[in-house]
Amino acid sequence: MKVKRILRYMKLKNILSAAMVVLLMACDHPAVPDNAQQENRLPKISPDYTEVTIPCNICPLNFAVQEDVNEVVAKFSYPGGELTYGQHQQVLIDEMEWKNILKASKGGSIQVEVYGKTANGWKVFKPFNIYVAEDSIDQYISYRVIQPSYVAYEQLSINQRDLTSFNETEIYNNMAVSMEGSGQCINCHSYQNFKTDNMLFHMRQGFGGTMMVVDGHLRKVDLKTDSTISAGVYPAWHPTKSLIAFSTNKTGQSFHTKDLNKIEVQDTYSDLILYDVEKNEVSNISNKPNELEVFPTWSPDGKKLYFCSAHFEYKQTDSIPPETEMIQRYKEVKYDLWQADFNPNTKKFSNFEKIYDAADSLNQSVTLPRVSPDGRYLLFAQAEFGCFHVWHSDADIYMMDLKTKKVQKLDAVNSSRSESYPTWSSNGRWIMVASRRDDGNYTRPYIAYFDKQGKAHKAFEVPQKEPDFYTFFLRSFNRSEFMKEPVKISAQEFARKAKEDAVKAKFVK
Amino acid sequence: MTAVQTPKAAHVTQQASKPIAEQKHLKIGKRASLGIALFATLCVAALGTFHLVVRNSDTLYMAQSQSFFTTNNIFLQECMHIPGGFISWIASFLTQFFYIPALGASIMIGLWLISMWLSKWAYGVKMAWMAVLSIPVICLLVSTIDIGYWIYYMKQTGYWFYGTVGYFFTTLLVFVGHRILKRKDRYLATALVALTYPFLGWYTLLTLAYLAVLAYVDSPADRPKSRRILATLFPLVLVCLTPWLFHHLYTALSLEEAWTVGLYNFQSDQTISATRLIPFYVMAAVPLLFPLLPKRTELKDGMAWLVYGVTVLLMVGACIWTEKRDFQNYNYHAEMRMYQAADDQDWEKVLDEMGNIPGNASRQMVLMKNIALLYTGQMGTKMFKYNNMGAQPQNGFDTLKIHMVQTAAPLIYYYHGKTNFASRWCIENSVEFGYNFANLKILARCALVGGEMELAKKYLDILSTSLFYRDWAMCLMPITKNPKLIKNYQEFDTVRELRDHMGSVLDGDNGLCEMYLLNYFSNTMRKDSKLLQELTLNYAMVQKDIQLFWPRFLVYAQLHPNEEMPVHYQEAAYLYGQLEPQSMNTSRMPFDEKVVERYQGFQQLSQSLLQTGMKAEEVGEAMKSSYGDTFYWFYFFSRNVHSY
Repeated sequence: MKVKRILRYMKLKNILSAAMVVLLMACDHPAVPDNAQQENRLPKISPDYTEVTIPCNICPLNFAVQEDVNEVVAKFSYPGGELTYGQHQQVLIDEMEWKNILKASKGGSIQVEVYGKTANGWKVFKPFNIYVAEDSIDQYISYRVIQPSYVAYEQLSINQRDLTSFNETEIYNNMAVSMEGSGQCINCHSYQNFKTDNMLFHMRQGFGGTMMVVDGHLRKVDLKTDSTISAGVYPAWHPTKSLIAFSTNKTGQSFHTKDLNKIEVQDTYSDLILYDVEKNEVSNISNKPNELEVFPTWSPDGKKLYFCSAHFEYKQTDSIPPETEMIQRYKEVKYDLWQADFNPNTKKFSNFEKIYDAADSLNQSVTLPRVSPDGRYLLFAQAEFGCFHVWHSDADIYMMDLKTKKVQKLDAVNSSRSESYPTWSSNGRWIMVASRRDDGNYTRPYIAYFDKQGKAHKAFEVPQKEPDFYTFFLRSFNRSEFMKEPVKISAQEFARKAKEDAVKAKFVK
Repeated sequence: MTAVQTPKAAHVTQQASKPIAEQKHLKIGKRASLGIALFATLCVAALGTFHLVVRNSDTLYMAQSQSFFTTNNIFLQECMHIPGGFISWIASFLTQFFYIPALGASIMIGLWLISMWLSKWAYGVKMAWMAVLSIPVICLLVSTIDIGYWIYYMKQTGYWFYGTVGYFFTTLLVFVGHRILKRKDRYLATALVALTYPFLGWYTLLTLAYLAVLAYVDSPADRPKSRRILATLFPLVLVCLTPWLFHHLYTALSLEEAWTVGLYNFQSDQTISATRLIPFYVMAAVPLLFPLLPKRTELKDGMAWLVYGVTVLLMVGACIWTEKRDFQNYNYHAEMRMYQAADDQDWEKVLDEMGNIPGNASRQMVLMKNIALLYTGQMGTKMFKYNNMGAQPQNGFDTLKIHMVQTAAPLIYYYHGKTNFASRWCIENSVEFGYNFANLKILARCALVGGEMELAKKYLDILSTSLFYRDWAMCLMPITKNPKLIKNYQEFDTVRELRDHMGSVLDGDNGLCEMYLLNYFSNTMRKDSKLLQELTLNYAMVQKDIQLFWPRFLVYAQLHPNEEMPVHYQEAAYLYGQLEPQSMNTSRMPFDEKVVERYQGFQQLSQSLLQTGMKAEEVGEAMKSSYGDTFYWFYFFSRNVHSY
């Protein structure tokens, strides 16, 4: 009996030893190559993390070296230590070790020296720095995962990602309710004050309606009324009240025959409405004729509403319907930036004022405004025309200082391709934008540090466990938003609610 | 001393003592059983080879080009997003081998034969019943060859090998769970089988159902009835509970689908094809009967006759069923062959296929022919020599509506220089049916032609991880580093010329590829590209629009000053000059004598036939053999053509 036990123990020991060896091999730190030839330039790495400023709580910045090398070793030097990583052409950093590196480097920097092995031996590239800010970032972001959108939709999901790790979960997946012939489009997820107890997203076509979480409870509402153009589209939760500003839009899509922007999305009509969550009532904010109002957003104190509006007069000929005219004159549609005062007690808007004349003065079009949590700055996307800047390669992120009303282009955040949908982290120290800089077609979330002096730093792509993730992932990240906490309602709960009938909202004057 | 007889000797003695008449009775021994088993095996192999390799090589090639596989983890994760994803992943890997149809078919047939023989051991069935064991794989064969146009509308990742791999795993699990493990471990084994649900989906539930039947049938006679019932009920309870329990772990799975996930529903917006599910239902049901097959070593008399009868009947039935379900629509197969040839820029092959069509070509084939003529510079001389009528594609066994934008439009748009529209439909179709190699190739080409080098690199990087598109991708990769190199790649010359000389407008095709191309090009006027100009002239002729024709005809004449005017352009000019003399004075145009003679002959014959009381369609049919190669015939008799 004893012998058997010993044998069993021996077996277990062997297994454990083997497991330890495997584990040690996995955590192996390669040696820094001797006699490496100096290459007087930075290595080409993907994603590009050279000279970026990162939050002190971000997950490891794994990257691939895109040089003609067979093997790489990256030496990470940080206050009080040095660690090396490298597997073939990839640099995959252990998560626990990375946390220690960040802790030691907080407020300082990590120097990364990349070695690459070629047929002629090792070479070493010019080292680069990764600056670690004192400021942390919100733990979660959420985004819609979607193919570069045209007309069709099938599987869509809204996902949440833990930025401190690589964990990603689905908030809602339309396949749990969609069936052939009753497919469902989902869009425009939005949160009140970066928290998830009050949030919403829209579902269109099959089981359509707006899915809302109000004080942690689920409800499904239909915001389309006879007096509004459409159901609510682009949402903005009031920071303190149970109110949501929406745009209502009649949206169309057409296609460029040759232009690499490929798609134009235009609003033939659009207005702004206010939805009272408690009363389930909809009222107009702005529905001026010849104005296309869209993209509402609140100031952090809830006393101002910012939005974009384009002045557009249809020629109203019988032979050309407005949709066709809009396609013919799409380059004439240019949005300005507006603000209106809001009295949270009376729920009345007043003093509508254009605060940035982009159309007439600059021949430009402003979209997607977002105010910083301290109320000082306003980010927006600007391009030559139109409202759908994700497909406009000239679109860039600009910032207005709301004190001085001065506008500056955020060069550190922008690229030669489209940047749009800027958002602020809850502490105002991080900006996230939807960028197409990787390849021009697939939208990726990029994060940039925004320091106390109001300066934006070089943006970096949200890190993924697999450095080649963005190459192989054939979908876009749409409407990336910061969240302080994860969504607590499960995808199954959302799916169950989605199958219920929506409660119709009332329109009040 | 008593002699001790060995059992064998005793057997011999007994045999010898039997009457001669009794020995003549029909009996199936081990050798005969093996013979029957090999016969059934050979039949399945032969049927598989005939229907897959001989009849459907083009289908299999298209199947792999409409599929996708990459070794990257993301693909595996996406597959595993719903139960049964592991089968999808393996099936997608194996589908790649249809690139060489005979190789892929061999792997498929190999898996079927292994499954057949494995099921013999798994269910403890005698070899003589091998024909019955072949029923599930015959079903798999039918489910592979009766797909028809669903090939373009398939949403299940790895459909082509999905059933084969699923059935193989099912059989393997039954074998391990019921034959390898001891009886006392079977509860644990059954529970472990239930845990394969995330990997095998529906096939896990089938395995549990088979285990339930086996637990009941194979139970020793001395086993208490309650234990027998418990052993049977346990897997059945797991069939009910497993999907419900696992459903909570999946965000993309509705509860209603949890019990059938992996069983593909042939459903489009307007069509549900129930008949295509029959092979899968039969495949799933028949193994439930395997444990009930007689287990006697020797089959005699009536049972022996039954075995022979069943074997012959099943094999004949298999031949008839597969023959009936094999979708052998000529255009369907020719379209796929033309697509492959066009993709390879083998224009002669495209034209050969077009020339060999027995009936009316589909519109897709007509467009492929147009492209081949454009790319070989033969539009003016051969455009109307082919059958341009355009038959509506018919799917077998259901009323699936086929739209060209979902079949070949991306490639057709690409070769017309409409790279944005090609990209658009590649993406739209990928949204609906998943990414595939064919679309990724077109997306890469469009990106290269459009100068989107990072985008092209992305697609080429993905393709370079595949087994059979790696070389193609690596060959084009240098362009992404040095865009000027594109000039060295002849395959892009024509597309680039067309694209570069095209205007840029906001537009839309409303899902009708052919109508859009005809309208766009017939209304385009360019003098800076001979190629584009000739295309606009031809599409103006297809539109039969005299006002559009003349300016394009005159520009053609200007651009080709010392060249002979191609016959079709002369025919159109002569015809329009006769029909609407006020539109152009053609009296001084130097028409070939033959063009004039044939027009006169055409007019005389058509008039005389009409005077006999024949209807216009009948006249057209009667004149097809003598004048079907002229623009005149096309102008008057090519009517009621519906694009789709």
